[in-house]
Amino acid sequence: MLTFALPKGRLQKPTLDRLARATLVPDEEPGTSRKLIIPAGPDARMVVLKDADVPLYVERGAADLGVCGLDQVLESGADLLTPIDFGFGRCRLCLAAPRGKSLTAELGRSLRVATKYPRLTSQWFARRGVPVDLVHLSGSVELAAVSGLTDAIVDLVETGRTLEENGLAVVDELLQVSARLVVNRAAYRLKVEELLPLMEALA
Amino acid sequence: MQPATPLPGTQDLLFEAARRLRRCETSLCERFEKAGYAEVIPPAVEAADVFGPEAFRALDRSGRLIALRADFTAQVARIAATRLAGMSPLRLYYRGSIVRRVTPDSGPLHERLQAGCELVGDGSPEADAEILALAGAALGVLGIQGRISLGSTGYFSALAAAAGASPRLAGALNDAVDRKDLPTLRGLCEREVPPGKAREAILMLAQPPRPQTEARELLARAEELAPSAEALQALRRISAALAAARSPGANLEVDLGEVRGLGYYTGIVFNLYAAGSPRPVGGGGRYDTLLGRFGDPRPAVGFSLDLDALVPLAC
Repeated sequence: MLTFALPKGRLQKPTLDRLARATLVPDEEPGTSRKLIIPAGPDARMVVLKDADVPLYVERGAADLGVCGLDQVLESGADLLTPIDFGFGRCRLCLAAPRGKSLTAELGRSLRVATKYPRLTSQWFARRGVPVDLVHLSGSVELAAVSGLTDAIVDLVETGRTLEENGLAVVDELLQVSARLVVNRAAYRLKVEELLPLMEALA
Repeated sequence: MQPATPLPGTQDLLFEAARRLRRCETSLCERFEKAGYAEVIPPAVEAADVFGPEAFRALDRSGRLIALRADFTAQVARIAATRLAGMSPLRLYYRGSIVRRVTPDSGPLHERLQAGCELVGDGSPEADAEILALAGAALGVLGIQGRISLGSTGYFSALAAAAGASPRLAGALNDAVDRKDLPTLRGLCEREVPPGKAREAILMLAQPPRPQTEARELLARAEELAPSAEALQALRRISAALAAARSPGANLEVDLGEVRGLGYYTGIVFNLYAAGSPRPVGGGGRYDTLLGRFGDPRPAVGFSLDLDALVPLAC
């Protein structure tokens, strides 16, 4: 029996399309079902999670494998295998600031940066030796820079339209993101006979 | 006053949990004694330079840097290289807890219960096989059917050297191999490793593990690609250990991408897996240069078991 962590949100549909190719299909429609665990044929089941929670479920073995963005894999710090890059869910994790604002002009003090990604952001700035004052938000990150709460933001950028409409511009790119297959380290060894055919069909 | 609870990463074991741990320890110790291993009980605190950066360190009153025990193997190596210098072979076992920082630069600690064996002064493949078999047998006495995944850090180092990889590139390659991250590994190889045998051999590392029965093919293919004498030698050591380890008491499989281990491993490296545990339940490897740090260069090989993970699975 394999337990698959299926992400909610924008990654769900492309993930289900890919899984269908590997004949892994949930018995009920995850978008409408109220079940938390959905059987998928006789040998598998799906747990439906926010994609930020996928790495933890898989690391701790409550799910054997799952799909989430590379941003969530790295931000969680979870110890996982990441054997497949699906190529969908593409976006970039970017540092952005109000257009025309020079971030280097703020060097007299720590740069104030708002983000949903405190680990990736602090690592990136630490590698550059730039001191930051991180503000950890849970949503509407752009607003932080627009309203003057912070000097800049680090957030996912897909088309750049939201940034543009709010007078923000990309300053630098931290990470190229796409959806990854994540697999528990022990499950990869112990359920290799079930996992390998599935991974071959997904790749 | 705040209600006193154990620090995060540590715990009290009470009643049945304590009884289970002691029962498991007793079975393991009996098995180790039967195999000719003798117990050593090193101190809980040591000079800090015995351990790596993961140790929890403090200054004593004289300003000397000391550390809580972060690793039994380093302590056993110190004992073997000093009081037991020149006595070969030595078969030693230990049990107890280690304390480590969760990451080398973090404040939080965790405590782990371990038991393990070290075979010092024997550099042969038979010694590798003895340790693999004893690790398998240790799972067996706990009533656990496990898998041993065997690889070699020596092989990876030889490939990285043959590819002319800088320490940064070697680190990135190692991380990608460890995560079975073939897309990243391919990207790194295409950008930074010149085409040739070394590159092909590195790309092979992200392949899935093979059971012992099919390992011969995998190793033969890797031998064809071996870019240097060191790489070939590392592969032959895996084959020799496999040949010598006929009945390891656990399913033994070869995974050339099994590159994770403590920093001092130089040859074969292995991890133990058991159904019900989401992380490895133990691991080990060959460390032929560690004793030299304490003044008595001798080869050694050993393993440790993670009792926090194993005891709940034991019957």
